[in-house]
Amino acid sequence: MALELEILGIHAGYGAVRALQGVSMQVRDGETVALLGTNGNGKSTLMKCVMGNVRPTSGQILLKLDGVPHDLTRLSTEEIVGLGVALVPEGRRLFPRLTVEENLLLGAFRREARPHIAKNLELCYETFSVLKERRRQLAGSMSGGQQQMLAIARALMSSPKLLLVDEPSVGLSPLLVSNTVTMIKQLKEKHGLTVLMAEQNFHQAIRIADRGYLIVHGEIVFEGRTVEELEHNDMVKNYYLGTA
Amino acid sequence: MPHVAHPAFLVLGAYATYALVGLGMDPLLAGLLLMPVFFAFGIAVYQFYYLTFERRGTDLGVRGIAFFFGIAFIVQVGLILVFGVDQRMVEASYIGTSIEVFGDVRIPQRMIVAFGVALALTITLALYLSRTFTGRAIKAVAQDEGALRLMGADPVRIKRWAFGIATGTCALAGALLIIVGPVDPNLDRLYIGRTFCVVVLAGMGSMSGTLVAGLILGVAESLVLASVGTAWAPAVAFGILLAVLGVRPAGLFGR
Ligand SMILES: Nc1ncnc2c1ncn2[C@@H]1O[C@H](COP(=O)(O)OP(=O)(O)O)[C@@H](O)[C@H]1O
Ligand SMILES: [Mg+2]
Repeated sequence: MALELEILGIHAGYGAVRALQGVSMQVRDGETVALLGTNGNGKSTLMKCVMGNVRPTSGQILLKLDGVPHDLTRLSTEEIVGLGVALVPEGRRLFPRLTVEENLLLGAFRREARPHIAKNLELCYETFSVLKERRRQLAGSMSGGQQQMLAIARALMSSPKLLLVDEPSVGLSPLLVSNTVTMIKQLKEKHGLTVLMAEQNFHQAIRIADRGYLIVHGEIVFEGRTVEELEHNDMVKNYYLGTA
Repeated sequence: MPHVAHPAFLVLGAYATYALVGLGMDPLLAGLLLMPVFFAFGIAVYQFYYLTFERRGTDLGVRGIAFFFGIAFIVQVGLILVFGVDQRMVEASYIGTSIEVFGDVRIPQRMIVAFGVALALTITLALYLSRTFTGRAIKAVAQDEGALRLMGADPVRIKRWAFGIATGTCALAGALLIIVGPVDPNLDRLYIGRTFCVVVLAGMGSMSGTLVAGLILGVAESLVLASVGTAWAPAVAFGILLAVLGVRPAGLFGR
């Protein structure tokens, strides 16, 4: 199935706060695209716009599935999930007083995912063996790293075509960040997923990204068509790495 | 959001059972048949609440509770207008007889029936909540509505359905209530205290904890009833409630 996400000039905000100011970007089939930017520049807002949690005041978000465009700005979050878009949200947003397995099964709530539950569950447990060991444990009682794995696994339970990951590195130790990013890369290759990942951690993000965008104050200030272009860009160094 | 009209729906279930028994029906059968009717009623009440309060964001704090107090009051007054303030009870083959357990210990048959049906209802609910997609979503919606939406479920639909199920169980539970003993329209007040006590004692969202907490409260009330006197029985629930809140606010089985 051919998939393409096209974001066209979206503006969005919270009351007087203007969080996104004319953001345009594309994610094509099978790509891993990084959305780079430090804290408070609008990465999460963009993710929320794609998921229908925040409504852009103008602009379009088109998800093309086999050439059929769906305007996500007009659909509810449930409908967007129904199209095969899954978000691993900032802060993970697990159901802390449900078990690991109940969290995973909730990930498979959308109709299209239900026939594949057994297969997907096995795959999740194979990839994250600690989740299998702890499947009867309450999600809230696990460590940060384990919770991040669960959040990713829960998103995969919905058999997504497009996976959005919002800052998987937050709150994790450097080693866990590295492991998590490696895991996303493997999953992506195994499932032929298309991934859009928001990340502050530049070095981890470029390990798995094919290309990326730099967002500053709600505007895309640089588009790197390759990881090298990102690494060598002055603006990235300046705004982002502080090493120019 | 504590649904303070739930006990009023329970008493309504008891009176609806009473009305059907008056037509010659068995009280348990009446309770079962009333379940879908109460389910639909619950859906309607939630929808009204959603349209008038929740959707406008005016359900926060005391206003949401006020809505359900209002509903409880309407039910209570309605029952008084239709049935009067006198106590009502029902007849059935298993009411008024008792079974000898051993020696001269006898258990009234109506208690055994009520206990068995209540246990079956609780187990069915627990299975529904843990084994079905909607059931798990009901458990999840109380924890994080936004996250549930990301799973592709509409929280409002889930809450409406949950409210329907909760109200539906009031029909059968109400039948059990009037099988166990006489009811009057003001009985729900007693149950508001009991409900808070059981929920706090059990810890929110623990099904097995709820069962044990119910038993603890029941035994404690009976002991006080037998030793201190009838007048003090209603104080038991609040006594336990205060003690638990002071000592272990997460509840005995809170996690
Ligand atoms: N719920 C909110 N209400 C008001 N302002 C918000 C809210 N969420 C984010 N913002 C503001 O919007 C801007 C972008 O935030 P966000 O998208 O979370 O950035 P990032 O994910 O890149 O850290 C920031 O200025 C932030 O303070
Ligand atoms: Mg963010």
